[in-house]
Amino acid sequence: MIVVLLALLQAHEIGTSRVSAQFHADRTYVVEIVTDATALVEKLEAGSGRPPLSVSEPDRLLQMLRAAEEQFRKKVTVRFDTTNVRPNLEYKVVAAINAVSAPAATIRLTGQIPDGAQQFAWSYGWTYATYALTIHKAGDPETVWLEGDQRSKPLALASITTVTTTNRMATIGRYLVLGFTHIVPLGLDHMLFVLGIYLLSNRARSVLLQVSAFTIAHSITLGLSMYGIVSASPRVVEPMIAISIAYVAIENLFLKDLKPWRIALVFAFGLLHGLGFAGALQEVGMPRAEFLTALLTFNIGVEAGQLAVIGAAFLLFGWQYSERSWYRQRIVVPASVAIAVCAVYWTIERIA
Amino acid sequence: MKTTLLTLLFVTAPLFAHDMWMEPASFFAESGQLLSIRLKVGQNLLGDPLPRSAGLINEFIVEDGSGRRPIIGREGSDPAGYLRISNPGLQVIGYYSKPSSVDLPAEKFNEYLKEEGLDAIAALRARRKEMGNEVKELFSRCAKSLVSSGSPGTTADRILGFPLELVAERNPYAMTAGESLPVQLLHEKRPLVGALVIAVNRMNPALKQSARTDKNGRVKLKLGSGGMWMIKAVHMTPAQGADYQSLWASLTFELRDAAAVSKK
Repeated sequence: MIVVLLALLQAHEIGTSRVSAQFHADRTYVVEIVTDATALVEKLEAGSGRPPLSVSEPDRLLQMLRAAEEQFRKKVTVRFDTTNVRPNLEYKVVAAINAVSAPAATIRLTGQIPDGAQQFAWSYGWTYATYALTIHKAGDPETVWLEGDQRSKPLALASITTVTTTNRMATIGRYLVLGFTHIVPLGLDHMLFVLGIYLLSNRARSVLLQVSAFTIAHSITLGLSMYGIVSASPRVVEPMIAISIAYVAIENLFLKDLKPWRIALVFAFGLLHGLGFAGALQEVGMPRAEFLTALLTFNIGVEAGQLAVIGAAFLLFGWQYSERSWYRQRIVVPASVAIAVCAVYWTIERIA
Repeated sequence: MKTTLLTLLFVTAPLFAHDMWMEPASFFAESGQLLSIRLKVGQNLLGDPLPRSAGLINEFIVEDGSGRRPIIGREGSDPAGYLRISNPGLQVIGYYSKPSSVDLPAEKFNEYLKEEGLDAIAALRARRKEMGNEVKELFSRCAKSLVSSGSPGTTADRILGFPLELVAERNPYAMTAGESLPVQLLHEKRPLVGALVIAVNRMNPALKQSARTDKNGRVKLKLGSGGMWMIKAVHMTPAQGADYQSLWASLTFELRDAAAVSKK
C-alpha cells in the first residue's frame, strides 16, 4: 500500500513551490509561500495584460510583487468555514544562490482566524505544478500534496491549532532539563570548574562573587552565539575550557583568598564556557517560535546545575569541615590537585 | 453526511493538465559553453520550474552531429539539466517522462478535450455515453528543444524516437519571423493524421497559430513574430490501468526577427 502511494507521489510533477501553515491558540494564522520569484512575477505581469519579463534582480522583483498585490490575491484563498478572509501580505525576495538558479520569493500571509471558525481550506493558483502544503501542529507536521488551483480539503482547526501556551510550557520544561543535565551529570568538566571555584575559599562572598561573574559571562556568550553574533570553533573552545579548569584548580593551591584578578579571570573563563554551552545547545536544536524562551530556560537550567554542584559540595564537606584547621590540607589541596590532573588530561585529549 | 457534502464542495479539481516544455538558459550557445536546461510546466509559456526527478525521467538527452548523450544534472535541483556544447550546429534536446496520473472531473475533462482538439476521444466518450464520468488519466511528456550553436547551416531537427514527437522540417535558426515552419507530428515513429498542432509565442501567447496535420502528419505554421516559440500537440488513447493515456509533445526554439537579422 505504502509502495503504491509512494509510486503515485513520485509520478507527480512536483515543482519548487512550498506552502506552510500555522494556526495559533491566540487565533492568528500564518501561511508562508516559498516560490520561484521570477516565475511568479512573470505570471502576475501576464495576468495584468503586460508581456512577460524575465526579471532576476531581487529588489526589482520585490517591487513588482508589491505592485501586483491585488492581482496576486485573485488566485489565493484563505478560507475559514465558508468565508474567504483577506490576509496581510509581507514579501521577501532572496537572490539566487548561483548564476543558474532562480531567486526565491517568500510571501507571508497573516491574519486573525474568525471567531467560531471550525475549518480551514486553502488554494493557491499561481503555480501549475504540484506543491506541498505543510500544516505545522503539535507532533509531526502534516503534508498535503496539491495541484496549482486545487483547493485543499477543509482541515478541522481543532486538530491543527498549535496551542502556544502548552508549547511554551513544554519548551520551558525541556530546556530547563537540558540545561541542568548539561552540567549534572553530563558536564563533568563544568562540574569540576564550579567545584574549583567553590574550593578557593570558605567564605560565602568568594563563592557568590565568582559564581556571579561566571554566570554573567557565560550568559553573554551563550546569548550572542545563539543569535549568531559571535561564533567559535569547538576545536578552540573545548581545549580552552579544559585549560581554564586546570588554571582555577592550580591557582587554588597558591591562593587562599579571593583576589580581584581571580574574579576577572573567572569572568573571562565564563565567556569561554558560554561558547561551549552554545555549542551543546546548537547540537540539540532550538525551536524557532520559542527561541528566547528556550535560550533563557536552558541558561537557568545550567545555573541550577551549577548551584546543585555547589550545594552538594557544601553539604558533603563545606558545611562541616570548612572551619577546621585541616580543611585546606586534606580537602582543598587534594581535590584541587585531582581537578587539575583531570583538566590537564582533557586539555591534551582535546588538542590531540 | 453533512461533512461529506461539505468536503465535496470544497475540493475543486485542477483546471486541466498543463503544457510542459524546456527552456534552455539561451537558445544560442557557443561551443564549449555549459548550458542549463529548465523543465517548465504551465500555460501560455508561463510556468513553474520542475526540478530534476529521476522518478519521472525516461530519457533526458541531447543529440548533436556526433550522436546522443545524456543531459546531466543533480537530483531535485532546478535547473534540471546541464549540457556542454561540444559540436557546432543544431543541438536537439529531448525529455521523455514516465507517466503521471491525474483525476479529472467530467466537465473539466470535456473542456480540456476541446481545448487540445482531441475530438476522437470526445466522440468515443459520447458513443460510450461516458460524457458525465470522472476520468483517470495517465500522461507522459515528450518535450524537445532546439538550441543553435555556430552558423545555422542546413543541419535540421533530428528524430529522437519519442512516442509522440514534433519534428521541425526546417531549421528555425535558418528562418526569420513571418516565415512558415513545416512540422511533422510522429506517433510511434509514424505520421499522425488529423491532430491539432498549436504554436504559442512567448511575448503574445493569446495569438495562437494552429492547424490539423494532413495525411502525412504535416502542418505549416506561420510564425509571425520573433522570440521564443513553443509548438505543441497532444495525443490521447484509451488505456489500461486508467481511462485514458496521453502523450504531450512540445518543441521550443527561438525565432529571430527579420530586422535583427538584416542588421547583422
